[in-house]
Amino acid sequence: MKSLIVAVSFVFGALVTSAAQVDFSHQIVPILREHCAECHTGDKKKGGLSINTKADLMAGSENGAVIELRKSDKSRFIEVLVTKDEDSRMPPKGPRLSPEKILLLKAWIDGGAQWDEGFAFKKPAYEPALKPRRVELPKVVKGRTNAVDRILDAYLAKNKLKTPEPITDAEFARRVHLDLVGLLPQPEALEKFLADKGKDKRQRLVQELLDNDVAYAEHWLTFWNDLLRNDYIGTGFITGGRKQITKWLYTALTENKPYDQFVRELIAPPTPASAGFSEGIKWRGSVNASQTTEIQFAQSVGQSLLGINLKCASCHDSFIDRWKLDEAYGMAAIIAEQPLEINRCDKPIGKTAKAAWLFPELGQIDADKPAKERLQQLAALMTHPENGRVTRTIVNRFWQRLMGRGIVHPVDAMQSEPWNSDLLDYLAVHLSDNKYDLKKTLELICNSQAYQSKAQVLEPGADDHAYVYGGPRTKRMTAEQFTDAVWQLTGSAPAKFDAGVVRGKAELNAATKVDLKGQWVWSTDNKGTNVAKAGEAIALRHKFTLKSLPVRAGAAISVDNSYTLSVNGKELAADEDWMTVEPVDLLGGLKAGANEILLVAKNAGNGPNLAGAFFEGRLQFADGAEQVIGTDTTWEWTKTLPDAKGKFATAPKDWQAAVVVATAEVWMKSLREPIVATLNQTVYSTLPMVRASLVKSDMLQRTLGRPNRDQIVTTRPSDLSTLEALDLNNGQTLADLLAKGAGKLVKDGSSTEALVQRVYVYALSRPPTKNELSVTREVLGPKPTEQGVQDLLWALVMMPEFQLVR
Amino acid sequence: MKPQIDPTLPEAQARREFLKQLSAAGLAAMMTGEVSVFGAEGKLQHPKATADTCILLWMGGGMAAPDTFDPKRYVPFAPGTPVAKVESTFPTIDTVVDNIKITQGLENIAKVMDRATLIRSHIQPDLGSILHSRHQYHWHTGYVPPQTVACPHIGAWMSKVLGPRNPVVPAFINIGQRLEGVGEQEELKAFTTAGFFGTEFGPMVIPFPEDAAQSVRPPKGMEPGRFDNRYSLYRKLIDKNPHRDYLSDYQQASMLRSMDNAHRLLSSPSAKAFDITQEPIENIRKYYPGYEPGVRFEASRDRFAGTYEAGTIGKFGLGCLLARRLTEAGARFIEVSTEYIPFFNWDTHENGYSRLVAMKEAIDAPIAQLVRDLEERGLLNRTLIVVASEFSRDMIMEGKPGSNANDQAGFKVDTITEMKHYGQHRHFTGGSSVLLFGGGVKKGHVHGATATERPFVALGEPVSIMDLHATIFTAMGISPKTAYDIEGRPFYATEDGHGKAVRDVFA
Repeated sequence: MKSLIVAVSFVFGALVTSAAQVDFSHQIVPILREHCAECHTGDKKKGGLSINTKADLMAGSENGAVIELRKSDKSRFIEVLVTKDEDSRMPPKGPRLSPEKILLLKAWIDGGAQWDEGFAFKKPAYEPALKPRRVELPKVVKGRTNAVDRILDAYLAKNKLKTPEPITDAEFARRVHLDLVGLLPQPEALEKFLADKGKDKRQRLVQELLDNDVAYAEHWLTFWNDLLRNDYIGTGFITGGRKQITKWLYTALTENKPYDQFVRELIAPPTPASAGFSEGIKWRGSVNASQTTEIQFAQSVGQSLLGINLKCASCHDSFIDRWKLDEAYGMAAIIAEQPLEINRCDKPIGKTAKAAWLFPELGQIDADKPAKERLQQLAALMTHPENGRVTRTIVNRFWQRLMGRGIVHPVDAMQSEPWNSDLLDYLAVHLSDNKYDLKKTLELICNSQAYQSKAQVLEPGADDHAYVYGGPRTKRMTAEQFTDAVWQLTGSAPAKFDAGVVRGKAELNAATKVDLKGQWVWSTDNKGTNVAKAGEAIALRHKFTLKSLPVRAGAAISVDNSYTLSVNGKELAADEDWMTVEPVDLLGGLKAGANEILLVAKNAGNGPNLAGAFFEGRLQFADGAEQVIGTDTTWEWTKTLPDAKGKFATAPKDWQAAVVVATAEVWMKSLREPIVATLNQTVYSTLPMVRASLVKSDMLQRTLGRPNRDQIVTTRPSDLSTLEALDLNNGQTLADLLAKGAGKLVKDGSSTEALVQRVYVYALSRPPTKNELSVTREVLGPKPTEQGVQDLLWALVMMPEFQLVR
Repeated sequence: MKPQIDPTLPEAQARREFLKQLSAAGLAAMMTGEVSVFGAEGKLQHPKATADTCILLWMGGGMAAPDTFDPKRYVPFAPGTPVAKVESTFPTIDTVVDNIKITQGLENIAKVMDRATLIRSHIQPDLGSILHSRHQYHWHTGYVPPQTVACPHIGAWMSKVLGPRNPVVPAFINIGQRLEGVGEQEELKAFTTAGFFGTEFGPMVIPFPEDAAQSVRPPKGMEPGRFDNRYSLYRKLIDKNPHRDYLSDYQQASMLRSMDNAHRLLSSPSAKAFDITQEPIENIRKYYPGYEPGVRFEASRDRFAGTYEAGTIGKFGLGCLLARRLTEAGARFIEVSTEYIPFFNWDTHENGYSRLVAMKEAIDAPIAQLVRDLEERGLLNRTLIVVASEFSRDMIMEGKPGSNANDQAGFKVDTITEMKHYGQHRHFTGGSSVLLFGGGVKKGHVHGATATERPFVALGEPVSIMDLHATIFTAMGISPKTAYDIEGRPFYATEDGHGKAVRDVFA
């Protein structure tokens, strides 16, 4: 605690002196650090000069004193900065210091070279390189060719460590299912896998799971929701100060959006769909200066995408790492629409932040550009090929998810030294080499012998000295994995979910052929010319009556250029990309009786250009009937636009019939297939079980560690607490699920032995042992009762073997 | 069975033993970098505790000081009265302490005022816009949201630093506030949590005191015999588990330990403390005169003329009774809330006077009875009772002088014409009342005052949330400078460790 107090007073000390003279810590230290530290601090003492402390600096170099106090003209320190002599110039290579910096250094020396008491340059224990590094792979040992194994085998040999034991096929199947798609392997699928004699069957299983786009997306949604603090309910929504990115995220996952593009869309959102992350949570009323939405942006980008903690530096120069107040504010200023005043510990210091990012060696933000462009510049810098930090951060998170512990630990402190930098660097470069395909990273790791080996048995104090790799570590099931698994076992997943997405994926070459009935329409204005004015906006509506509610109703929509779609006053979709087709679930808006679809469509561009709107909805009724609703001339349009809530101030009186756009084929040649695919997704596909990641957190999930996503969460608790155990013992949600499941199992009428066999294989991916069978037989009797089965299910899902992924 | 706490119990030792055997926190540290005490623990000097248990009686929604514990000029309801003329809507009454006056409707509390310290100068920051749950977050955690980490509730601090008093009674119990199905529920959840400390230190949530027994009982419909058999099946299957390699694995061991603890609590005699029906009916009726065995509140609510506030009568009373039983059984921190529901209970945006008649009935007898009962059992000296709210209310002023906060009164009238206009309908952050009993505080004492003329701001000796927390922590033997490490930086019990206990309130 004492050192902290010293550090605090140091910061305030610097603040007090800054007004009158050169500010040592804020103006001089950064220059020295940037240009001199590499050769003259820590153990480095090139030419005999160290600048670790003021005494060291004053002691000078091999050539004597470098500073004459108050006489910058006579100080060698300045001379070498300006000299034209290539042999004595400093820094010896690269660009010279700017005249401004030299002026500052001179002013500093002329002012007596003030040095804050107690300050010393200390070489950080470790400073990670920014650039990616291509690792030369060690030789293949014992036929283990996977790159991860080549690196780890060399590590094991060098450290004289034992190679972890391999796991069985069944153990592998359970682990890889839970890790990649978050589900237990179905007993039938497991049986098939075990019977498979193919040598490459594990590889094929990995591929098969990764190819299951929907299961993959609905599992990893949990990870990303935590990391990007996205949720369906939570603080901030109540006052409209927070936006979800669920739709964008869901599609990004089903389509496996390359990670560089993913990052760019989060930082510089091309449409509002991904804006929630960068916009943060806005609270009504005044907030602490370190929690404005701009600072939240700096913190979120730092933590989630770079593994940098800017929370300290949002208030004052960090005491724990190298980040400074100015740098946190620089990041914040990138998104700021208004000049951003720098506050230190919630008090303004009379400076305005200048937009800048954290690693200027890759290029810098142009602070004079508007915010939108600055964000695009940041997005480009974040995904610059020479930026290894972003790729290292994400592959480290993935490694931690699969192997139980990060190569850098903890995963949000990427400034820390990895226990194996070759491994980290290899994975990072592997990701960018594979066009930022995150599934490739998962595939590489899962196909390694390292992943396919036994989980380490950990005893207290295992990491007291230093982490030593000894195989994967056991992971606790997430709340979502546990819930999904119980839903699987009991067949009791809910029918409804809360994430506002259309589940599934629009697959080209869709199973059901659809004869499209909708047509591209627009206003009468462009009749004959086929073009509409730039920026022209119209409202299109369609009224119809439904005798009863359909059982399923979906639509595909595409508008050149942008639109908002509402049904009976409820907004269901919006998009700004004229090249895309969006799926819409209409069930949330339709009602029995009179219905109205309202589509507000806008053209864009700089001059008159093509404009058109396409909508096709298909409603399926319980009796098997289908009703098609597509844009055509029965739709009406008006120039009068509703307000943001979809309401007309006064009802328009000039509704006119919409006109079919003659040039529809311009769009259709590339969109016909996506539209058919989207209708397949929304109406014709069979959907798998609803997943826990798609529903709001309930008591059970909270009990199992699903966090409030008001803050970014990157590691969930690994232990079951007593209160959690209490809830699992007597909580109603779980009890009800198990009762339901037991009822179904008993109804199947199978014998105790067959039933126990099945639930064991399903829950644990292994049959019960003889001993286990005899215990269950003792309790259940030959003909199981509902209560007995319910208690057996409870006992099973409470077992560490069930709740831990190992 | 009547659970008892031995006041001479060597707490620190019991706690260490308990934590050693019970909690996996220390072991978990290596997996997730769990929070650890910041700096050298040995150097931090905790004050000597004057209380072992803390009961927070939470008046959620904004309890108006001028209508409760800080009477001002009473102007009775009369159509045509200018709103600005009214300061209190209840007449002043005497208490057993000569110089302490409170307001009508609190006659029972008036009789135990000689055991109380009354703080009249509690202040809150003006957050520019009044969102109750945001102020409540601040009050319960000591930090104004948003924050970069999930802040622990003050009860979680007690749980974390002090641990439970009785190993089988959860350290932090939260009674009377629903977290589902009520407005601002997400905001309520955000602070009703142990935050970054983790769920081990989080609240056991009991929304309905009459259902408390259920939370420490086997699931509905499961007889004790079956419950025990289920557990023994579980233990047998664990014993027969073929994966012997993992027997010593700490994560597995910690999971089994938690399961054991939970089962132990569920089968422990202490669990009876949660069951208010174990109490003689005449005792229950001291807290809730209308109590009928087996009649639930939803059913009984009709008897109260259908107003929401009337339904709080009894529910809060039973919460206080439960708090007493849990104090006896060894809980560390108990919060009993009158329940915050936007625009109900203390959150009077209109009809303030009529609604407060019910609210005062809801709290008056139970609070006084709780004080008496604990005293009778010799527990009051070591139990700190805190009656508090997120801010006060005023007839005409929103926020505090100079505030830009939006006026949120239901009826913005200058002259009272109807009963619904009569009451404290604006949120006031410039001065509110906090009542303390027991746990080492002075008896029959007043700390601070508010102005005699509007605005009724605290004059001198203002007590911020930070300092009030420091006072509560100090009474409980926790240094306000206590800090835990989160993400490499210190996080303090009071903001930046700056909280200063209000010395004047201690005996």
